[in-house]
Amino acid sequence: MGGVSDSMYRKKKWWVLMLAVVMLAGLIAGCGGKKNDGGGSGGGNAGGGTSTSAGSGSGSGSGDSGGGELEPITFTFYGADPNPNWQNMQDAVGRAITAATGVTLDAEFEVGDPQQKISLIAASGKYPHLISPKGDLGKLVEAGAMLDLTDLIEQHAPNIKKLFGDQIKRLRYSEDDPSIYVIPTYAEVGQTYFDAGGGFQLQHRVVKELGFPRIRTVKDFENAIREYLKKHPTDENGNKNIGLTLNADDWRMYISVTNPAFYTTGGPDDGEYHINIDTYEVTYHFRRPIEKEYFRWLNHMNAEGLLDPESFVQKYDQYLAKIASGRVLGLIDQRWDFQEGENALKAEGKFEYGYGHYPVTLTEEFKETSFWPVGFSPGWGVGITVDCPDPVRAIKFLDFLASEEGQILDNWGIEGEHYVYENGKRVIPEAITERKKTDPTGFQRESGIGLYHNLGAHYGDGVLDSTGNYYTTNFPEQIVATYNDAEKEVLAAYGATTWKDLFPSENEFPVKPWGAAWNIQVPADSELNVLQERMKEITWRRIPQAILAPPEDFDRIWDEYQQELLDAGVEKMEDEYEKLVRARVKLWNE
Amino acid sequence: MGSRGFAKSSLSDRLFDAVVYLYAAFVLVITLYPFLHVAAISLNDSIDTVRGGITIYPRKFTLKNYEVIFSYQHLGTGFRNSALRTLIGTALGVISSSMIAYTLSRKDFQGRRFVSVFLALTMYVSGGLIPFFLLIRELNMMNTFAVYILPGIVSAFNVFVVRSFIDGLPYALQESAKIDGANDFTIYWRIILPLTKPALATIALFVAVGHWNSWFDTYLFNSQAEHLTTLQYELMKVLQSTQSNVDYRARNMTEVMAQISPESVKMAITMVVTLPILFVYPFLQRYFVKGMTLGAVKS
Amino acid sequence: MEAATTKERKTETRYGRTGRFFRKALQNRWLYAMSLPFVVWVFVFSYLPLWGWMMAFQRYRPGRPFSEQEWVGLEHFRALFQDDLFYQALRNTLAMSLMGLVAGFVVPIFFALMLNEVRQMLFKRFVQTVSYLPHFVSWVVVAGIVTKMLSTEGGPVNDLLLWLGVIDQPYQFMAKGKLFWIIVTLADVWKETGWNAIIYLAAIAGIGPELYEAARVDGASRLQQMWHITLPGIRTTIVILLIMSIGHLISIGFEKQFLLGNNLVREYSQVLDLYALNYGLGMGRFSFGTAINIFNSVVSVILLFAANGIFKRVTRESIM
Repeated sequence: MGGVSDSMYRKKKWWVLMLAVVMLAGLIAGCGGKKNDGGGSGGGNAGGGTSTSAGSGSGSGSGDSGGGELEPITFTFYGADPNPNWQNMQDAVGRAITAATGVTLDAEFEVGDPQQKISLIAASGKYPHLISPKGDLGKLVEAGAMLDLTDLIEQHAPNIKKLFGDQIKRLRYSEDDPSIYVIPTYAEVGQTYFDAGGGFQLQHRVVKELGFPRIRTVKDFENAIREYLKKHPTDENGNKNIGLTLNADDWRMYISVTNPAFYTTGGPDDGEYHINIDTYEVTYHFRRPIEKEYFRWLNHMNAEGLLDPESFVQKYDQYLAKIASGRVLGLIDQRWDFQEGENALKAEGKFEYGYGHYPVTLTEEFKETSFWPVGFSPGWGVGITVDCPDPVRAIKFLDFLASEEGQILDNWGIEGEHYVYENGKRVIPEAITERKKTDPTGFQRESGIGLYHNLGAHYGDGVLDSTGNYYTTNFPEQIVATYNDAEKEVLAAYGATTWKDLFPSENEFPVKPWGAAWNIQVPADSELNVLQERMKEITWRRIPQAILAPPEDFDRIWDEYQQELLDAGVEKMEDEYEKLVRARVKLWNE
Repeated sequence: MGSRGFAKSSLSDRLFDAVVYLYAAFVLVITLYPFLHVAAISLNDSIDTVRGGITIYPRKFTLKNYEVIFSYQHLGTGFRNSALRTLIGTALGVISSSMIAYTLSRKDFQGRRFVSVFLALTMYVSGGLIPFFLLIRELNMMNTFAVYILPGIVSAFNVFVVRSFIDGLPYALQESAKIDGANDFTIYWRIILPLTKPALATIALFVAVGHWNSWFDTYLFNSQAEHLTTLQYELMKVLQSTQSNVDYRARNMTEVMAQISPESVKMAITMVVTLPILFVYPFLQRYFVKGMTLGAVKS
Repeated sequence: MEAATTKERKTETRYGRTGRFFRKALQNRWLYAMSLPFVVWVFVFSYLPLWGWMMAFQRYRPGRPFSEQEWVGLEHFRALFQDDLFYQALRNTLAMSLMGLVAGFVVPIFFALMLNEVRQMLFKRFVQTVSYLPHFVSWVVVAGIVTKMLSTEGGPVNDLLLWLGVIDQPYQFMAKGKLFWIIVTLADVWKETGWNAIIYLAAIAGIGPELYEAARVDGASRLQQMWHITLPGIRTTIVILLIMSIGHLISIGFEKQFLLGNNLVREYSQVLDLYALNYGLGMGRFSFGTAINIFNSVVSVILLFAANGIFKRVTRESIM
């Protein structure tokens, strides 16, 4: 802490400081964009393991890609969904695609909240050449950023045309604006579902011990739980068994608590609405009188002590932990929502504690509606922006991805490397299957399989290609192979081979002319947004309250709830939504 | 307070000590727990973690969660950029905050009221994301390293904290320096700075941690420039990848078994980010966990 | 610092007030040099973007140039002030802020004072380092821990209370709306005290040891020394932080309330920033979100000036 003498010395130091600051500032400013990473990022290596074959050995013939110049060209791309294993197309499949089309994508994928990013992109006036904005397409359309693809598809995209056939009308944006702005790349054309993951779930050991009773109505479900609990109130460690627990952490409320209200009462999944198939009249589905009875049943379960009182307080990881402990007899959820818990049980070999899926409804008069078909539902996809230097090349690129060759590359990989033909059948070698299981991330980075899935339109499971093989790697024979013995035993007892067999199948339901309502884009400034949010607030508060209340209070609380909805403008919301539904029906069917 | 020496310790003093140590031990236990909990989960097999019940030690030890993180190729770049911006940003931040703080501490500074108000308002007032984004674009700071440092150099909060420290210094020091012919800058550089070390260490810590943890600016402005990525941003991508791996595409149970749950990776990420801070921290700590003196005041 | 020499007085009368102004400015030239560049800096990055506030008076759609936006005057503000949910969120926000303010000052200061009295250097530094670790653990994890601690199935708190005989059935803490504010405040204290105490420890480090010497000689006990020397010694710092925190009363974020809350306590857990997210930015309603932003800023600035003014009068310390 020196003294304050020596003015000469001080002056020198002062200038030194200023110089240093200026230099530093200059260094930083100039540094922008020139900093190079010694680790060779940015299009250099394929990271992870060694990238296998240099050139793609597969048929990179021009085939369906529409011929034309294959001069290398790079397009910038932004995708609203994360794709963390992206390797700048240096993976095997990527290189094959580039060889076939000449196109390399300089892609950026979302890491956080796409809505913010898209708003910024829209506001900035500078757009990537290709973009997949998911639900925020509207902002870009308004900004005038998107090209109308109708003519481009017509003239340069035979594969896309073939893929969508006469459903291509459904790609149109709106009545006022029938342009096609995106090629749907999330929807799977011709998708068949091979198994059921929903319905109500009961542990295998429960149905086994009770002699495989019929589980058809909520009463059957309730009785099974009650009987088993009477016999086994605790597990071997003395911890209480739980009859039913619900998954109510944030948005999972929809899946486990509120959606079942329509699945069990003959209503299809149309988001938060019920739409009359003949008159298109829209009702906020909680206002259907029959659904009141569903929630009354849940209230009854609670009153009988069969419902876990912590259902509405616990967080998702606590819910999973409970399942993993094996003490939960029944669930009302979707498999992907509780899979982690079940996996933990399976890892311990406790297969009897796994869950079966049952088509439970309120009473026998209803059909379980999990498989009500929605027809082809376009939705989110890839579009070309006004900033794209060569829209024709761009659409041809997308067309290639939609071609048979492109789809096989994306799903199966490169012939000889990732699959082989045995007697005309496409087969994945054992070594590759092993690799997929033990090192999925590394494998995906090297091969590129699955990285391009949402970049191109594609067929779904169960569709055969021109060689008689499936387009995708999920096929019906596989499903049964994944069942463990406990599952097979239960299924056999009920006379089924897969869980889906127990459910009403697709052809038992009429087709909905509007597809799936939850897919309808609500315009950004519509009052609907605010109304929907308000109703959600009210519903999410009232439903748990109604379920946990003493039975004699149920009616009163329900009436208050319904009145609250009315006061908040639910009828207006229903009317507005009906307009959207009608517009959609018109758009798709004329 | 080491300079107290061996005074006679009365009963009341000893009781006091007992209370103090008990309280410190209590705080130690309850604040150590969450961190050990995170560490335990990060070292625990992820499927086993789903069962719950992990407290402060792993039940089924594994390093898989860390392997996932370190197999990410851009992590090194992210680490380097974060370290660099932390160093530069902290140096600049400390200098700027203390410099402004000094000018505001001088009651004879004409612009004092104006600058104080001008700065204070910035803590509560903001134009929103879109205008800021457009501004950065206008200034051609997209995809640059500068965007990490430049916009955030001045922090009103830090300025006021340092200023409150400077106010505690006797003005006599500055007066005697003036008499010796020192100008304001020299006083700042040679007198104020050395004497406010605790304050400087504190805001250095705040600024450093801020830079180290930041990813939002990378996300907004540099997401297309791979060589400018930051550590936290890369870690977010790691988390994304594990989350999307738990996806429904893998209906095949055996595939799922090989996967890592995002929960466990989240914990490992927390450890990876926090441990470097813990290593560097003791160097700053000695400045403000009391030991220093103001002895030189007398000179 | 007044240096009214004869020379200066003469200059003053000759050139009047402007002259005095510039003379002073010249004297202050170094101080100006050390502050003005930063003022410009702040202006560019913090004040220029404020043009965005105009969005609150339009029906803003990103992508359209500014001139093409539709002006709607005070419509968004009217919508805001007519919304019941807004007032509920406001109430919850203020309640938790005030509780947080009190707890967020008393506890860290107490902790800093206590820790300062620990004489074993190694232990002291160890405790201090560990104490701020929860700051780095995300709220997601902390909320999970809190929920588990308070759960009715094997939660330690319930187990303890049952064992002590205080209750005979597990109590669902997390389901009671009335308890929510307390739970949030306590969780925040747990997480942030160590970190918040750092400033106070630094301030304590700046107190001259000779003051303590003198007090000891006078026979003061440790407690008295703490009360009469340490505490007043950090008074300035405390006041400054208090003023700044009061300004922040209305914008406390929403992460912890969101994570600790559930549907049973919604009425008490909705805070302003969450409301802004749900109905503003989260819905793409930038104008509405900006209107809330403006409301927040205006209230904050009012609180800031009020706090500043009061403290200036009462304690002679202030930030402006």
